[in-house]
Amino acid sequence: MQNSLLIKADNLSYKINESKLFSGISFALNNNEALHIIGSNGSGKSTLIRILGGISEPSKGNIIKKEDLTISYLGHKNALKSYLSVRDNLDLLDLMDNKQIDNLLAEFDLTNKLDVTLGNLSFGQQKKIALLRIFINEADLILLDEPFVGLDIEMCEILSDHLNKKVEEGSGLIFTSHIASGIRANNFNLD
Amino acid sequence: MKVKQSLKHELIKLLKKTRAWLGPILVFILIMVAYPLTVELTNQSLADAFFPVLFISCLMVMMLATEGIFLEDYEDGSLEHLLITGGSIYQSVFIKILVHWCFIGVPVSIFGALFNIGVGNTVNSSILLLPSLLVSTYIFLILFCFGNSLSLTKGSVLGTLITMPLLLPMLVILGKLTTAIMFNINYFGFLILLFGILSIIMFIFPAIISKIIKTHLE
Repeated sequence: MQNSLLIKADNLSYKINESKLFSGISFALNNNEALHIIGSNGSGKSTLIRILGGISEPSKGNIIKKEDLTISYLGHKNALKSYLSVRDNLDLLDLMDNKQIDNLLAEFDLTNKLDVTLGNLSFGQQKKIALLRIFINEADLILLDEPFVGLDIEMCEILSDHLNKKVEEGSGLIFTSHIASGIRANNFNLD
Repeated sequence: MKVKQSLKHELIKLLKKTRAWLGPILVFILIMVAYPLTVELTNQSLADAFFPVLFISCLMVMMLATEGIFLEDYEDGSLEHLLITGGSIYQSVFIKILVHWCFIGVPVSIFGALFNIGVGNTVNSSILLLPSLLVSTYIFLILFCFGNSLSLTKGSVLGTLITMPLLLPMLVILGKLTTAIMFNINYFGFLILLFGILSIIMFIFPAIISKIIKTHLE
């Protein structure tokens, strides 16, 4: 697949109450590329992800996005309903009819949890459910904020493999993480 | 997200959260049953005083039904996810209000019309009452949703206080409508006025609410 620009950050700055969180952030991401945003606590990693996603506005600078850019996103919150069963949550995500869902549920050891209320699952298991939408949905750009939090080592490896595969297939990936991951990505340091 | 998908999502969420829709309906039934049992009036006075009690009960029940209506989606990250992935918050808000009305507003209106017969009013007055109840419960829902969106992270009391000035004109119109039903004068004029209000706010307020929610997300 030919490389094409998905998103470009041009001299981004962000201020909170006149205090600068970050400034002069510039980068470009094409498809088949991954970008690992690193930085200490409070350096603005999540804010940058939210700016790239279009939720927050930068104090200065521009973001140029590919026309009709589709985004797959997982933030700190899983966007799942704790009072619904896993099956209902997958139904809400429109994933129950997908052909890949059975294989992924088996890979994540969740097949026998379909009728369990989500709130009764561990944090890591809930995160796995939330990640299913990233693996199944076809999007130009994947935005992930701390995707490895709450996952065991084995699951971290599985996640890295899946994300590497997504990037090879043509998606672009931007993620924040404190830990060194197995994802083949360029590092971008916010500190 | 397509309208059909959005509708399905809201239906699943509300259906599985029984207390969110059954609770307000049961509270309404409780008030309606308690009214003739606790108010010492002659039969005719009971029937005459029923309309104001009915409309105020509808108001209270709609307030109860909208408590935290957007809070869950805000707190679990669903609204943030919807916004980033290119979904329409306007559509989501519009459908959420519509589904809540179908599950709570419609049954409450039907029960209200039935209880009207129960306290001794005529079947004809109930037939006239039903459309005004259906419209007014939708208007109440929208206005309380507006208040809730303003006080999304600040609790429902502030939202209710903000909504009160908007509700007072509605209650005045409903009072006039009550007189119109009782004396059978100019009823359709007031009903058309209610439909007029609804047809404007049912499209405009979801847009305002979605802007407010976006501001909260920022």
